[in-house]
Amino acid sequence: MRCKLCAREAVSDLCRYHEEAKGQVEAAYRLWKEAYGTLGWEDYLREVIKNPETGEWAVEVARLMRASSARGSAAASSS
Amino acid sequence: MSDDPSARGYTLVVCEKPDAARRISEALADGVPSTVSVGGVTSFSIQRKGERYVVCAAQGHLYDVSDPFAERSIYPVFDVEWFPHDKVAKGDAVVSRRIGAIKILAKDADRFVNACDYDAEGETIGYNLLRYGCGGAERNALRAKFSTLTKEELVEAFEKASNSPRNGLANAGRARHVVDFVWGVNLSRVLSQSAMIASQKYRTVSVGRVQGPTLGFVVGKEIEIRTFVSRPYWAIRGLFEKDGTRFVASYTADRVYRRAEVEKIEGECVGKEGRVAGVTRNVFEYPPPPAFNTGDLQKEAYRHFRLSPSRTMQAAERLYLDALISYPRTSSQRLPASIGYRKILQAICSLKEYSNANELLEGTLEPVQGDMYDSAHPAIYPTGERPRRALGYPEAGLYDLIVRRFIAAFAPAAKREAVIVTVSVGGHRFKLGGRRTLVTGWLRYCGKYARPDETEIPTLGEGDLLRLLKIEHEEKFEPRPQRYNQSSLLEKMERENLGTKATRAEIISTLIARGYVHGESLIASDLGLAVIEVLKRHAPSILSTDLTRAVEERLERIESGIEDGRSLIRETVKTISKQVAALRADEEAVGHDLSSAALATIAGQGTLGICPVCRTGKLRVIRSKKTHKRFVGCTNYSEGCRASAPLPQRGAIRPTNKVCAHCSWPIIYVGGGRLPWRLCVNASCPSKVSRKNAL
Repeated sequence: MRCKLCAREAVSDLCRYHEEAKGQVEAAYRLWKEAYGTLGWEDYLREVIKNPETGEWAVEVARLMRASSARGSAAASSS
Repeated sequence: MSDDPSARGYTLVVCEKPDAARRISEALADGVPSTVSVGGVTSFSIQRKGERYVVCAAQGHLYDVSDPFAERSIYPVFDVEWFPHDKVAKGDAVVSRRIGAIKILAKDADRFVNACDYDAEGETIGYNLLRYGCGGAERNALRAKFSTLTKEELVEAFEKASNSPRNGLANAGRARHVVDFVWGVNLSRVLSQSAMIASQKYRTVSVGRVQGPTLGFVVGKEIEIRTFVSRPYWAIRGLFEKDGTRFVASYTADRVYRRAEVEKIEGECVGKEGRVAGVTRNVFEYPPPPAFNTGDLQKEAYRHFRLSPSRTMQAAERLYLDALISYPRTSSQRLPASIGYRKILQAICSLKEYSNANELLEGTLEPVQGDMYDSAHPAIYPTGERPRRALGYPEAGLYDLIVRRFIAAFAPAAKREAVIVTVSVGGHRFKLGGRRTLVTGWLRYCGKYARPDETEIPTLGEGDLLRLLKIEHEEKFEPRPQRYNQSSLLEKMERENLGTKATRAEIISTLIARGYVHGESLIASDLGLAVIEVLKRHAPSILSTDLTRAVEERLERIESGIEDGRSLIRETVKTISKQVAALRADEEAVGHDLSSAALATIAGQGTLGICPVCRTGKLRVIRSKKTHKRFVGCTNYSEGCRASAPLPQRGAIRPTNKVCAHCSWPIIYVGGGRLPWRLCVNASCPSKVSRKNAL
């Protein structure tokens, strides 16, 4: 099975590099919440995507997470 | 005495390069050298103190290590031999002619002198030439050792030329070639063959003893950068005033990681008076740097001229062959008195651009000596000779850098002052400071190459009261790690003791040539990432810096004559056998991983930007199998994304890395030459629709 974001072999639904990036995105959320006091997950992802310091794979993963989060919200509101 | 090359009884001098041969002939000859042509190859014939010499040259390595089969599907190979270079790199006629000429000249020589560069590579070149090209003359040949190609030094080197039966340098050089060949050819063949089995296409995937760990550094950094998520912080600054003079001071902690804390600090400072809690004044000596060794020269040349390490060495080699500088491949940062400090400085200071250094000649000349030492050569220094030709780019800049560094080594230390003022306000501390040069010392001779920071020193004393005008904060984000460039990667290799001063630049060039890294900031390609991934998974010890370092230490022992090369080669064979077996056992998985990387590389190539429809895929150039026309499609097509657009069918297409302000689709360049035109990829872009309507 191929990674959802690139042509590499997937370890889950992502390759090991995008998986690592996902871990970094998730871990950094705690630090960002501490920094701003309050920060929603979607807002956080938006900021990470916009941030020029964010690495390429982290941006790709953040986009994917934001898209699936948006799909999840849309599905929840339609039901 | 006749200059006829067929006349017997002369000393054959072997040099590393034709330019060196010419210089040596001119230096040694009693009159003017005459040229001798044998098989289309020019050598020089001279008379010296009643004796005849013929000076010939190699052109770098004329002999290489290879395996007798030279067949890429056969591995492992451990029975290696030295072959003429034209047998290894088939059809190299230049080498073939040169070896032929030297064999003819060797027949009538009754004495041999090795005058190749005095380092492991030079010794290897000379040894092989004498052994294979001159019928075993390496045993009795004399060795002339010199660090510059000035007449004075060359004459002295030849007067003192002697035979040393135990040649540690040559043994180490030859052992290095064998070890590197066994390592490189076997690993490269198993990886390339595995990739071919998986993809049905041959592609060379090479990895070497030092190349592997070096690529590992770049890949490690690449992963760190691409997975990086920054952390926000705040920098707080206070604007203070005293007697009409304003001062900007930074909060004592450079980074405050919580916004709530920033607001608290600001709240506690606003409306309060500041008081200077302390003034720390530090005057320190700033000693001159020692003369360059190879690594330092490469780093500084990159810093000032953006020259890659290999380009620096090419330029330095030219300066050396012009007898303007000493041998540029050296670890040493020391200048021995035997080079003649005063004579060199006097010659340099006679040039207008360095005339301000004349004042140094009034005192005793004692240069600052660095920590590093090389038994073969001193630090790089200018010879004091005048250039015979106008120096172009980059030789002129490099020469200037070397001269100024040499002059600076004799100059007194500079003196600098750093002042830090601490201001207390509202229970918090702020700091400001300044730096200045009190005594220029050596800095005045280095010109633009040494311009330390000069910032105004605040005129404040302890107890002074300051009015706080404003306190402000700036939100920042931790910067992502920096990629290696060629200079910093070289530095990393030096720190890890990987490779040698002669080989590091070449290894970096090889990584670029093989497509494992690209760009000025060295970016690892997908293939580079895959090679390291495969090695980590199936043969991790190949990437071990400990293993590579241990080999370097053994080579140093061989160089010192403590051991010969045989046991190192035996151990290398054992190590590589195991690694090849491990990779072969996982051949399918290895090939699959490498082929995936090739796929990912291809998928990455030709991409134009992020797909604005699904926002996770990439738009790339696709050619229809049916119509053969090119168009743009999304890499997430199989996931359901139908973003597509037609493309112009003529002209090269390149991404601009910019998006259209109207529709966020990528903008591309179409066509080559000086004026490619820009185009939004989106056929339905509002800007195109409105233009059409206007027409």
